[in-house]
Amino acid sequence: MDDTLTTQNLTKSYGRVQALRGVNLEVRRGEIFGFLGPNGAGKTTTIRCLLDLIRPDGGAVRVLGLDPQKDPLAVRARAGYLPGELRLDDRFTVEGALRFLNSLRGGKADWGFVRKLAERIDLDLKASIKSLSKGNKQKVGVMQALMHRPELLLLDEPTGGLDPLVQQAVLKLIREAQAGGATIFFSSHILSEVQEIAERVAIIRQGIVVEVAETAALINRALRRARVRFRQPVDSRALTTLPGVTVLARDDGTGVLIQVEGEMDGLIKALAAFPVSDFETERPSLEEIFLAYYETK
Amino acid sequence: MIAIFRNAFSRSRGQILGWGISLGLYGLFLVQFYDTLAKQQEQIVQLLNSYPPEMMAFFGDAVNIASPAGYLSLEFFSYAPLLVGIYAVLAGSGLLAEDEEKGTLDLMLAHPVSRTGLFVGRLLAFVASAVGLLAIAWLGFVTGKRWSESFDLSGGELALPFLSLLAVVLFFGMLALLLSMLLPSRRLAATVAGLVLVASFFVVGLARINDDLKNIVRFSPLYYYQGGDAISGLNGEWFFGLLAVAALFTLLAWRRFERRDIRVGGEGGWRFIEFFYKEKQL
Repeated sequence: MDDTLTTQNLTKSYGRVQALRGVNLEVRRGEIFGFLGPNGAGKTTTIRCLLDLIRPDGGAVRVLGLDPQKDPLAVRARAGYLPGELRLDDRFTVEGALRFLNSLRGGKADWGFVRKLAERIDLDLKASIKSLSKGNKQKVGVMQALMHRPELLLLDEPTGGLDPLVQQAVLKLIREAQAGGATIFFSSHILSEVQEIAERVAIIRQGIVVEVAETAALINRALRRARVRFRQPVDSRALTTLPGVTVLARDDGTGVLIQVEGEMDGLIKALAAFPVSDFETERPSLEEIFLAYYETK
Repeated sequence: MIAIFRNAFSRSRGQILGWGISLGLYGLFLVQFYDTLAKQQEQIVQLLNSYPPEMMAFFGDAVNIASPAGYLSLEFFSYAPLLVGIYAVLAGSGLLAEDEEKGTLDLMLAHPVSRTGLFVGRLLAFVASAVGLLAIAWLGFVTGKRWSESFDLSGGELALPFLSLLAVVLFFGMLALLLSMLLPSRRLAATVAGLVLVASFFVVGLARINDDLKNIVRFSPLYYYQGGDAISGLNGEWFFGLLAVAALFTLLAWRRFERRDIRVGGEGGWRFIEFFYKEKQL
């Protein structure tokens, strides 16, 4: 079986609030999979269902070939998890916290590896948790998720609160974990980082996955912008009737900014009737695609 | 489970020492003071008899103050369940819910630790803490005997009311634990359990002077607390009865913890109705 993680029609409600309304996901072994959505979309709820921290109302979940409700310990032994709202016992030092969490895994982590990780993300193992900044606490969270070299990493907003340099270091660690054979499922609303490291992404909106695609394909096939310059003022209203085309801005009849959803073929054919002097397209960022899902669907 | 127990027990060391040493020092002082009191017992009995009977009802039979057992009943064991009950309510309500509300339980249970393992580890730490706290307090009373000429109770006799107190601690601790599994917040669970404790204390006290309360006092948990009377023999039915109800609360709390969602901020809710139904499985 190629899928490390699957969910089928996963549903979950908190009282009257439907957090998940039939989430379907398939995460392949060894890939980095980004899970995109704003706060409250259902990202954290989905991840917590995968570890049996909360019980779904319906649907099916398989993680590493196991049912998390029936074999929660086996799933958790092979997974590393970084919660979205990380809280650490502030009576510990960093090393004390990591050693305690490692003891819950039967002391599986290699302490030499832990020290190397700490060095790479510039974390003082002797510091007390109480004295750490939010960013440094997040580093402890990343370390505890990685230190036992899990087969599956479930990371809920892994770079939240980290400065750009450490963000890059963490993303590098995630890539290295993947190179070591791990599958990474991570949620984020920082789209640039998803774009940077995720091979595939799912976009979740109000408890439903509205898109699953390879990151590059999603960017390529989705919205584009086209700037068209005409040699003389023209009446470009005809362009607005084309399917998937929206005119975003016009200036004195000689220029137009167009948004195109899907293929460009129809627009290019329509433009053939106009005296075009310049035609420029730009690919949208993942952020723009993401927002488009929230505005149009 | 051992790692959970060790962690939870080491976290409660401060509480054990704080409560245990405070009660122990108080006991040491009380036992030493008994010689002075024994010499002036006639005046003290007269003084106590001048107090309103409603007030004295909370302390049991004041005339027995002449004996070491009566003296300890009046001066300590009459209100001790209120003191250690507060400890029990705070510790029991926070046993799981404190970390759940802080958000640290989420991370712990993402490790290969079963909910039952976590529950049992924490429960054992609570029991060990209660035993440790009361043992330190008992030691204070026993140590005080060294400097007293007329206090003639043995260490074994002194241990019996502490056993009765232990049953009270376990009862209210487990009640608070169960409530923390059912109610939306730890604070609410502690408040409700605390109200039961205080109400029980007053009902038992007032029932000594008000016959109308005799029928309902049997439903009050502290009715089954012997206090200083245990020195002359522990009532096994009452002792094991309280433990049995505490065990029932524990089972219900465990069942609830096994089946419900681990909460993070904002997910709590009223779960009374859901509790009686088997939750949906995947």
